[in-house]
Amino acid sequence: MQTTMTSLLTADSPTVMTQTTPHLCIEAVTKCFGSFTALDNISLTIKEGEFVCFLGPSGCGKTTLLRTIAGLARQTSGTLNQRGNDISTLPPQARDFGIVFQSYALFPNLTVFNNVAYGLRNRRVDRARINARVAELLALVNLSGSEQKYPAALSGGQQQRVALARALATEPGLLLLDEPLSALDARVRGHLRSQIKALQARLGVTTIMVTHDQEEALTMADRIVVMNHGVIEQVGTPAEIYHQPASAFVASFIGTMNFLDVAVHSAEQVTLAAVRLTCLPHCLPVGGAARLAVRPEAVALTRQVGGLAGEVTDIEFLGAFQRVTLQLAGANQTLLADVPSRDSTTLGLHMGQTLGIHLPAEAARLYPAGSNTL
Amino acid sequence: MTDSSLPKAFPKSLPRRGVNVAPEALIRLLVLLAGVALLVVGLLFPLFAMLVKSVQDRSGDFIGLANFIRYFQTPALVNSIANSLSVALMATVSVVSLAFLCAYGITRTCMPGKRLFRMLAILPILAPSLLPAISLVYLFGNQGFLRDVLAGHSIYGPIGIVMGMSFWIFPHALMLLTTALTNSDARLYEAAEALGTPKWRTFLTITLPGVRYGLISCLFVVFTLAITDFGVPKIIGGQFSVLATDVYRQVVGQQNFQMGAVVSVILLLPAVLSFIVDRWIQRRQVAQLSARAVPWQPTPSPLRDWTFALLCYAVAGIILLVIGTAVYASLIQFWPYNLSFTLQHYTFQGLGGGGWGAWFNSLKLAFSVALIGTLVIFFNAWLIEKSEGYRPLRQGLHFMAMLPMAVPGMVLGLAYIFFFNQAGNPLNWLYGTMAILVLNTLVHFYTVCHLTSVTALKQLDPEFEAVGASLKVPFWTTFSRVTLPVSLPAVLDISVYLFVNAMTTVSAVVFLYNSDTRLASVAVLHLDEAGYFASAAAMAVLIFLTSLVVKLLHAALTHVLLNNAQRWRQAG
Repeated sequence: MQTTMTSLLTADSPTVMTQTTPHLCIEAVTKCFGSFTALDNISLTIKEGEFVCFLGPSGCGKTTLLRTIAGLARQTSGTLNQRGNDISTLPPQARDFGIVFQSYALFPNLTVFNNVAYGLRNRRVDRARINARVAELLALVNLSGSEQKYPAALSGGQQQRVALARALATEPGLLLLDEPLSALDARVRGHLRSQIKALQARLGVTTIMVTHDQEEALTMADRIVVMNHGVIEQVGTPAEIYHQPASAFVASFIGTMNFLDVAVHSAEQVTLAAVRLTCLPHCLPVGGAARLAVRPEAVALTRQVGGLAGEVTDIEFLGAFQRVTLQLAGANQTLLADVPSRDSTTLGLHMGQTLGIHLPAEAARLYPAGSNTL
Repeated sequence: MTDSSLPKAFPKSLPRRGVNVAPEALIRLLVLLAGVALLVVGLLFPLFAMLVKSVQDRSGDFIGLANFIRYFQTPALVNSIANSLSVALMATVSVVSLAFLCAYGITRTCMPGKRLFRMLAILPILAPSLLPAISLVYLFGNQGFLRDVLAGHSIYGPIGIVMGMSFWIFPHALMLLTTALTNSDARLYEAAEALGTPKWRTFLTITLPGVRYGLISCLFVVFTLAITDFGVPKIIGGQFSVLATDVYRQVVGQQNFQMGAVVSVILLLPAVLSFIVDRWIQRRQVAQLSARAVPWQPTPSPLRDWTFALLCYAVAGIILLVIGTAVYASLIQFWPYNLSFTLQHYTFQGLGGGGWGAWFNSLKLAFSVALIGTLVIFFNAWLIEKSEGYRPLRQGLHFMAMLPMAVPGMVLGLAYIFFFNQAGNPLNWLYGTMAILVLNTLVHFYTVCHLTSVTALKQLDPEFEAVGASLKVPFWTTFSRVTLPVSLPAVLDISVYLFVNAMTTVSAVVFLYNSDTRLASVAVLHLDEAGYFASAAAMAVLIFLTSLVVKLLHAALTHVLLNNAQRWRQAG
């Protein structure tokens, strides 16, 4: 197995190595379907060897963007550049990519072998090499010995891996994955997630995956592109996306987030329920309204009541921690706080209890009032 | 996984862009244009030529609506409109009500012998519509052995026409209604039962609404078939003229092409109207289907089951009686005077009409249409359904593919005369050849094949073509290695449909054959006209048997193919 990896690695050698050279440059791409704008002036650079996830709710344009990159949909305006070649007007056949669809689109009347060899046949490569290559790919996805089976005889996870092997067979410079895991059940999904990620890291092939599953994106991607309504909301590493969401939409779409209506008091302070709170420097107009976003796990609860306080109205048991709903004193707003099981004993957590609330400045982010969440 | 040098060297030799892309896009465009050209030349131009002809006088000068005015001032012609409407309506009512009862028996009861009945009920489709008409003459004609049943009424006229039409349209209606009644949702019936709803109310509130689109669609299909049919009224109509026979009489009898065109335009109207209604209904129906429906299973109920069984057996008995009469008539010396057995009527010697030569011509036509038509229609449907780009062209092709359904055979045949027989038409050489018969028949039966193809293609994964393209495989390879094999059952259905129709059709081709390309169905017509009734019956039976054999071969072939395909269709 080790030899396989190395050989494949060397095989693809130009694609690996330099993480900084751009593989794909998307420049001001817009796609309209009639009067509906599916992609609105998208610009994005994807580096060589990178694993990028397009993440967003359904209808946000992520699949359209993927299909535009593949040439399956033609952009209304804008350009695409792959490794320095302008591919904006090329048909899919002339572009360099492999693709795995949500449905896998395995050819039902062909065996696993013929599915994987489908793209090789056409290149007039001799039979022995095709056999070797298919065997190598099937070993790579742990399906050696299934050559003569038909897709219908395979489980969903196995079909998915055949589709992956077929897409990789022709050594594409770019691998496109269109919600590759969404048709599988949860257990298989978790397993395949790490397999695909490991395979990608090993081969170093530049990969773009479309998903609506934030967990998938957070665990697999080098960088995440969060999209909504045809525009990019934020591009960043999973940690950046989670901890420093650039917009209220990103903040609400990834993980759980409290949004509290506050009044801006100064460049570093806001007022919530008549209590003045410190926050990170911002440039929202003083005296206006704003929304303070803070994750439940960042909220600290104390038994000393002074400053911000709230009454416990609901306690939800979630195993490792408990999710507490608090009604803020002096304001008609609720707040969620995650309390680790150990701390809940110290607090003596119970319904109707009034607790002190501390919102750490470095964990809270401020967004303009009225900004859209999910 | 042993020799690491092999994979290392391997990719270098892979050409990155195996396919030359520009030709592929070009080829795609060219075949699309060829498909459009086929229907423009084979359908639009002829229809246009016919419309032009209807507003010209004999010397070819434009005279506005003068022909139409003359038509409506000629009572002999105008009467045909009422005649056509009345027989078509009567046939529609009788066929649809009978077919509904039989379809209900098949789908909603536990009556015994369902499979046998369904097989027998298909038989009329395999015969030309001339066959029931000939049989009816033997049964109820002046010397028919069931003459007294009619209580003095003549079979030559509306009674015979309605009976003959009902016979050969019945299978069409039965298939449509069986499909409609099969789509049931058991959950609705369970809910009704749980609420204590009486059976009749369940039927009115669940069953009927569930099939209403299928029922309306069936009504229009049957009406169109009835009003445009030529074979039955030609043989048994007597002095009772209908629109379809008027077209024939004007053109072949009186050589009055302008008036033929006028009657054609009038015949086109009801067909176009029912076509539009049908399309409108089809569009509405889509929203009705629920993927979660649980099919309803009938439970035994002896009284109901046997009532429907007896009805269906009676229908099957009539079908066998009609076909049997034609077979019998073709095998005896001279009805009713000499009933001894003979095969002489199958020699067709010394009679006009072509004899076995005509049968061979029909066979040639049917095989050509089945082969060429299947490939062309399926490939065109694939271009429309599965390719990117050239949207206006693809939509135009789809629209034209739907049109032939609205064009009666008589109209299409006459339109071909006007278009291809024009002096100065570069395609004039086609006139009088087998090629024009192939083209005409292909276009005539295009729509049903197109719809079958589209349905089959829609069931395929929409990304097959995208995967092929991403692997740099030209589209024709994916078409021939994946799409075509996976759709093979539908493709076979199309080819047998085309074969049987090419074998049995008479309406369009009656204008287009010449002495070298006489067809069996036309021969039936001519033998009957010349008074050789037994030979006409023999030829009709010959056509029926040919279709039957091909249909059985098709069933066997489908069975074998599906068995082979089981390996991948239901593996695991």
